[in-house]
Amino acid sequence: MELQKIEIKFFAVEREPVPLAVFIDVFHGWIQASDGVYHDVVDYSHMHQGPGVVLVAPDFNVSVDETGGRRGFLFSQKTLLEGSNQERLTRVFQNALENCRHLQTEPALQGKIEFRFDEFEITLNDRLLAPNGAESYGALTAEIKPFVNRIFGGAPASLQQESDARRRVRLRIQAMAPVDPAAFLSHVGAQADGPARIN
Amino acid sequence: MEKALNWKDKLAARIPEELGREIDIFEQQMELRKQGKIDEKVFAETRLRRGIYGQRYDNGQRHDGKRIQKLKLSADVIKGPDTLWDAPGMMRIKIPFGGLSPAQLEVLADLSEEYADGVSHVTTRQDIQFHFVHIDDTPALMRRLAAVGITSREACGNVVRNVTACPLAGICRDETFDTTPYAKACATFLLGHPDTQDFGRKYKIAFSGCQQHPCGLVTMHDMGAVAKTRVIDGKEQRGFALYVGGGLGSVPYKAKLFDEFLPEAELLPIAQAISRVFARLGEKRNRARARIKFLIANLGIEEFRKLVLEERQKLSPDPRWTDFLSSVNEPSEQPLKPGVGLNAHQRPDGFAAWCATNVYKQRQPGYVAATVTLPLGDASADQLRALADIARRFVKDTLRTTVEQNILFRWVSEADLPEFYQAIKAIGLGAADAATIVDVTACPGTDTCKLGIASSRGLARELRDRLGEKSLELDAAVKNLRIKVSGCFNSCGQHHIADIGFYGINRNVKGFQVPHFQVVLGGKFHDNAGEYGVPIGAVPSKRIPEAVSSITEYYVRQRDKNERFQDFVARIGKKAIRDLLEDLTKIPAPEVDRSYYTDWGDPREFTLADMGVGECAGEVVSQAEFALAASERELFEAQLLLDGGRSQDAVKAAYASMLHAAQGLVKSQDASVSEDENKIIAEFTRRFYDTQLFWDKYAGGKFAEYLFKAKDFVREGKAADGDRAVQVLQEAQLFIDAAHDCHNRLRGTVQSAVKIENAAQPSA
Repeated sequence: MELQKIEIKFFAVEREPVPLAVFIDVFHGWIQASDGVYHDVVDYSHMHQGPGVVLVAPDFNVSVDETGGRRGFLFSQKTLLEGSNQERLTRVFQNALENCRHLQTEPALQGKIEFRFDEFEITLNDRLLAPNGAESYGALTAEIKPFVNRIFGGAPASLQQESDARRRVRLRIQAMAPVDPAAFLSHVGAQADGPARIN
Repeated sequence: MEKALNWKDKLAARIPEELGREIDIFEQQMELRKQGKIDEKVFAETRLRRGIYGQRYDNGQRHDGKRIQKLKLSADVIKGPDTLWDAPGMMRIKIPFGGLSPAQLEVLADLSEEYADGVSHVTTRQDIQFHFVHIDDTPALMRRLAAVGITSREACGNVVRNVTACPLAGICRDETFDTTPYAKACATFLLGHPDTQDFGRKYKIAFSGCQQHPCGLVTMHDMGAVAKTRVIDGKEQRGFALYVGGGLGSVPYKAKLFDEFLPEAELLPIAQAISRVFARLGEKRNRARARIKFLIANLGIEEFRKLVLEERQKLSPDPRWTDFLSSVNEPSEQPLKPGVGLNAHQRPDGFAAWCATNVYKQRQPGYVAATVTLPLGDASADQLRALADIARRFVKDTLRTTVEQNILFRWVSEADLPEFYQAIKAIGLGAADAATIVDVTACPGTDTCKLGIASSRGLARELRDRLGEKSLELDAAVKNLRIKVSGCFNSCGQHHIADIGFYGINRNVKGFQVPHFQVVLGGKFHDNAGEYGVPIGAVPSKRIPEAVSSITEYYVRQRDKNERFQDFVARIGKKAIRDLLEDLTKIPAPEVDRSYYTDWGDPREFTLADMGVGECAGEVVSQAEFALAASERELFEAQLLLDGGRSQDAVKAAYASMLHAAQGLVKSQDASVSEDENKIIAEFTRRFYDTQLFWDKYAGGKFAEYLFKAKDFVREGKAADGDRAVQVLQEAQLFIDAAHDCHNRLRGTVQSAVKIENAAQPSA
C-alpha cells in the first residue's frame, strides 16, 4: 500500500489553558514571515472538538486541532509525495516535528503549551488508497514499525488502531519507555532549533 | 483483494449513468482547460454549474497586514479570469429541500476530511459547502456524492439553484399540505432542463406550506410557491399561490403575486414557461440588472404574467409535469419508532431549556422535530458521523438542513427526547438556542468569500459568545429576535429579513480604513420574509456588540406590552434609534487602541486590498468627506420622510443625497464644481463613471447607475409608491457606500495604523 496524504498529530501538554484565539495571531505571524507559502488562517474555535485553528497552505495544513477531544498540533500533507513509503513517512514526520517545535517556542505562547513526542497519531487521509480495514492496517503497521523503531531508538512502542471503521486509517503510537530527546531528534533528522519536550 | 485505481471505477455501479457521464464530461473539460482549449470564461461558468466556486485570494495575492504577498502558486493555468488553478476554492453541494439521510451525512463527513478542511458548512439556502477544495479533487468528490444520490450540478452559476422548502413540510401543525414532493419534483424537473440553461443570472425557488411562518422565505425568491387548497364542486383541489420576482441582493425586492391559485398540475409547466421568458427577455449583459426581479419591474407583473401564459400555451406536453402527482398524498417519510408521549422520568440537566427552544411538536401525535443547532452552520466530520448514528437510532432518514444553518431531526418519538438530547449534547451540539437571538446566521464573509468586505462570521461568533453567556438572563422578547449578518451588501446572510441585521461596509475614519457594519432594522422573518429592514446607520465593527445591547435594552425598556420588535422600530422611529447609536459610531484614535482598526478574529490591519485595488487618481480633499457625511444625513432625512408616508418627497431627498455624494467626489478632483444638477452628473459621469474609477470590482457600474436611474425617475415626475421609494432609498444607500469606497481608493489608503511596507499599495 502506498502511504500518501499522511497526517501526524502531536498531543499538547498545557501548563495553563491557551485560548484558541491566541493561535490565530501566531499563525498570521507565520504568514507574514513566509513568502507566499500560506494562504489563510481559518478560525473554528466555535466548534466542539473541531479543527480548531487551521493554517492553510496549498500542499499542507498545520493546525491546533481539537478533534477527538485532545488538543494537539496536526500536520496534514495534502499533495502526493514522491519516494518510498519510508521516505514519505520521514519527510512528513520531519515537517510536522519542525513546525510543532516552532509553534511551542512562539513567544506569544509564553511556554504555556508543549507537545509530547513520545506519543503521536498517524492518519492516512485517503480512503481510496487506504480504506479502513485489516489489509490497510496490516500494510501501515508493517511500514510504521521499522519507522517507529528508528525514531524511538529501539524503545518498545504500542500501536493502537482506530476503532470506528468509518474513520480514516489511524494509528496511535506511544513509546513504552523513556525516549532520549537528543537521540529522538537525531533519528528523525529534524532541525534542532529551540527546545522540545520529549517525554 | 484487488483495489480500484480511482473512485470512478470503484463507484461505477452506484452512480446513475447520466450523472456519471456528466462528471466524465466535466473531467474532460478540466483537461481541455489545462491545455488551453477552452476559453477561461466559458470554463468558469462550466465549473460554476458544477458547484465549483472561487474563494478569497484565488487571484494569487493576499494582504498579510503589512504587505501584499504573492502566493506560491503556479500561474500557468487558470480556472477563470484572475483565478489560479491551484488556488483553493469552494464547493457548493445542492441539498434539495434540505433533505438528508444518514448515509449522505457520512459521505459528506468523509469528503470534508479528504478534500476540504474537515468542516461541512450549512448555508442559508439549505446547501452544504466545503472550503479550501482543489479543483483537481472535484470529479472524485462529485462521484462520491453521486453514489449517495447527491449532485452539485447547478449549485452555482446562472441556473436554477437549490430548490428550498420549509423544513417542517409534512409535519407542520398548520401547513396546508406537504410541499416536499412538489419541491422535489420541481428540483428534478428543472435540473439541467434545456429551458434553464440560458439565463443572465441565477434563479432561486422556494416552497412553503403556509403563508404565515417564516420557514420557506417565499417572498424573497425568484419564484416562490405557497401551498393552497380550494374546493370546486365539493372536491378539494391542491395548488399554490405563486410569487415571482423576489430577491435580496443589494436592493431587495419582494416577490409579486403571479397567481393566487395555480393548480398543482400547472406548477411545473408554469415554472418552465417562466424560465423561457426569463431566458428570452432577461438582461444578459448587465449582470447587476439580470435577476428576474428586474425583468418584472421593467415589464410590470401584468405583462410578465401575460408573456408567461402565452409561453405556457406553446409548451409541448411533458409527462413529468404530472407523473409525480399520483404519489403526493402518500407519506414521504416513515418514522422509525411509534410515537409515544414524553416519559415523566429521566430528564437530564438542561433538557427543559433545550426543549423550549429546539423542539417542535409535530401534528402527528407522539412525535416532535428537534433542531440541532450548528454554531455558524459548521459541523465537523466526527459530528456528522455521530449525527448519522443518532439519526439511525432515533429517526431513520428524516433529516433536513434549515435556512438558519441548522439540522432538523423529524419524527423523533417524544419518549426518546431525553436520550436524544443526551446524544447530541455529548457531541457538543446540545445548545438550547434554536430560533433565538443567540443562533446568529452569517454568510462566509471575509473568511472565504471574494466579495466579503467585513468579517460576518467573526462578528457572528462574537455575538454568539456574548449573547450565549447571558441567554438565561435575556428578556423573552429579546431572546426570540433573529440576528443575521452579511459580509457585504449582497445579502447572503439574509440581513434584510432579520429583526437586527448587519452588512459589512468600509468607512474612512481620520484617514484609516475601519471595518463597519450597516445596521438594518425592522426586517420580518415571519410571514415568509414578510418585510425587509432598512439601514439605520453605520457602526464600527468592534462596537456592534454594544449596538446590539443598546438596541435590545432600549426595546425592553420602551416597548409597549407585547409589542413586536418591528412594530417597536416603526413606532419609535429610525431617528431615535440612530440617536441611540450615535455614540457608538466613534472610536479611539489608532495610537490609543488599534483593535478598532482590525476585524473580528483577524489581527491584520483592516484593508480592502484583498478585494482588489483601484487606481490612484487624486488628492485627498476634505470637502469630499464633508459632502459624503452630508449625503448620509440627507439620506437619513429621506428615510424619515418615508416613515412619515411621504414617499414622493423621500425619493427626491434620496436623489438629492446621491447627488451630494457625487458632487463630493467631483470636488476631490475639481474644487470649483458647479452646484448645477446637470453639471454635477456630467462631471461625475466623465470623471468617475466613464473612467470606471467609481466601479466596483464585482458589481461594475451598478451603483453609479442607481444615480442615473434616480435622476430619470425624479425628472419624469413618476409617482413613487412605498415599494418603489424603499428601493430608491436602498439604492441611494448603496451609492453612498460606493462613494465612500471610491473616495477611500482614491486616497490610496495612505495612512495605516501599523507601518505598511507594501510596494503594491496605491499611493495618493
